[in-house]
Amino acid sequence: MHIIEVENLQKSFGQVRAVDGISFSVEKGSLFAFLGLNGAGKSTTISIMTSTLARDGGKVTIDGLDIDRDSAKIKSEIGIVFQDSVLDSVLSGRDNLKTRAGLYGIYGKDYDERIKSLSDLLDLHDFIKRPVGKLSGGQRRRLDVARALINDPKILILDEPTTGLDPRSRKTVWEVIDRYRREKGLTVFLTTHYMEEAAEADYVVILDSGKIAAEGTPNNLKNRYTGDFIRLYNGDKTALSKKGIAFSEENGYLQIEAENTSEAKKLILQNPELFDDFEIIKGKMDDVFLSATGKQLKGENE
Amino acid sequence: MKTVLLLTGRNIRIYFKDKVTFFTSLITPVILLILYVTFLRSVYVDSLLAGMPEGIEIPEKLINGFTGGWLVSSILGVSAVTVAFSSNNIMAMDRVTKRINDFYVTPVKRGQMAVAYYFANFFTTLLVCLIALCVSLLFLGKTGWYLTFRDIPYILLDVLGCVFFGTSLAAFVEQFVSTQGGISAVSTAVSSMYGFVCGAYMPISQFAGGIQKFVSFVPGTYGTVLLRNHFMHGAIAELTKDLPAEMTEELRKAFDNTIFFFDNEVSVGAQYAVLFGSSAVILLLYVLTSNLRKKKG
Repeated sequence: MHIIEVENLQKSFGQVRAVDGISFSVEKGSLFAFLGLNGAGKSTTISIMTSTLARDGGKVTIDGLDIDRDSAKIKSEIGIVFQDSVLDSVLSGRDNLKTRAGLYGIYGKDYDERIKSLSDLLDLHDFIKRPVGKLSGGQRRRLDVARALINDPKILILDEPTTGLDPRSRKTVWEVIDRYRREKGLTVFLTTHYMEEAAEADYVVILDSGKIAAEGTPNNLKNRYTGDFIRLYNGDKTALSKKGIAFSEENGYLQIEAENTSEAKKLILQNPELFDDFEIIKGKMDDVFLSATGKQLKGENE
Repeated sequence: MKTVLLLTGRNIRIYFKDKVTFFTSLITPVILLILYVTFLRSVYVDSLLAGMPEGIEIPEKLINGFTGGWLVSSILGVSAVTVAFSSNNIMAMDRVTKRINDFYVTPVKRGQMAVAYYFANFFTTLLVCLIALCVSLLFLGKTGWYLTFRDIPYILLDVLGCVFFGTSLAAFVEQFVSTQGGISAVSTAVSSMYGFVCGAYMPISQFAGGIQKFVSFVPGTYGTVLLRNHFMHGAIAELTKDLPAEMTEELRKAFDNTIFFFDNEVSVGAQYAVLFGSSAVILLLYVLTSNLRKKKG
């Protein structure tokens, strides 16, 4: 069942077509990833979905509700973690969450229960009473996630949630989201330019200059847009050259590119004496992205 | 209403917890205080004595009551506007930092947010001005008290009018500000200019004719004049009790206890009408323009 359906969505800023007639749908309970460079149209699409930006054309339905007619109801079913923290830095985490909870009609005992369960889930107890401006990046991000979950949403939108975070904080944020997703059947709509995050998604849409360049499960995309790679450890370079097998020298292994898994398997079976210590791996999302858009995607270390 | 009060509370807490915003709003009144201590007081005393017939002894307490009335009416008239602009920066900063998007994604209506910003600004500005008023009354009580109990409710009404004007003007102007530079520009312009425009730094009567006409179009000036009138008339009456009535009128004119609109003296009732009426019109304009901007998207 689709919880989000977008048809022929369009939005321009002056002469720039930020979103150029895209259509996609998101399965309920799935982790859906929008992959694209800055300016690809990811955040614009989110702004339209959350009714904070008017669209030029197209149709958006969320949980069976139309964004024009039922925007207030849709908003109460969505939680969003923005690219940059939007909490009030001079107020404490608790103060911030209390204000935001009230905007969804959560007060008194309901609020106390909600804040307790989120504090347990995200381990906020140590810093929830401190001003947000004095927290570390990772602590602030955990509060952002708590804020996004304060209304117990059906859909959690994560707009580049881990940009600028250290690997440990990134891991913590993802562990929490995964756990919450499993327990509550939450649908997660992620925009990212980290291929490692997109590779974990159930379905990926690659956006380029406001258009969909490719879409599918990570596996499908890898099969469609990249080949397989055989990593050969302690390989005999002379023997490979004699057999006319092209390879590249990587850090500690030789890499042979094959069109697909069966081609790789065939090559190994035909030359068993050359392949003692090896592994077959699929192409990465950055190879998919490069192949689909002709552009280089940022990696973990960039 | 619960949502509006919740957001109002959030805006008020930010104003008082953000020390930079809070102290920035007090810069103009502090400048005024420094100017007064360093030279304005002596200038006013000199001009007061110069206008008096020879041989009249004026007690120190009366001079203090007269100049003190001038000072506190200036501080209150200016603060109502500068504090309102600083406090209203919360609205502009929410837009600049895109923090406002965190409210837009909730079911709260934009109209509720606008009302909450206005309420919070009105409350904080009024609170700061009332604290300033209490300090002013204590100061006058200690240095030279010539107010009557009848003056106090009028002074409260004057402060209320000035705050109404300041907060309405701030809401109207700052809705167009969407950058950090814009906020700084507006704050600087208001802090540096408003003191002159409303006659807080020097009496309007000392301005050139054209400028006097210009300031008579600034509704806030009527607020300062009302404050002057209610803070100073007791001291002026005491000063001129044995002198001809023209002397009283001359002093009232020289020290802005009254205002002229194209050579016609504006009555106190009309001054209130201008102050409250224009503030209401500005507030209405804010509501209309912000709705228009919302529709344009």
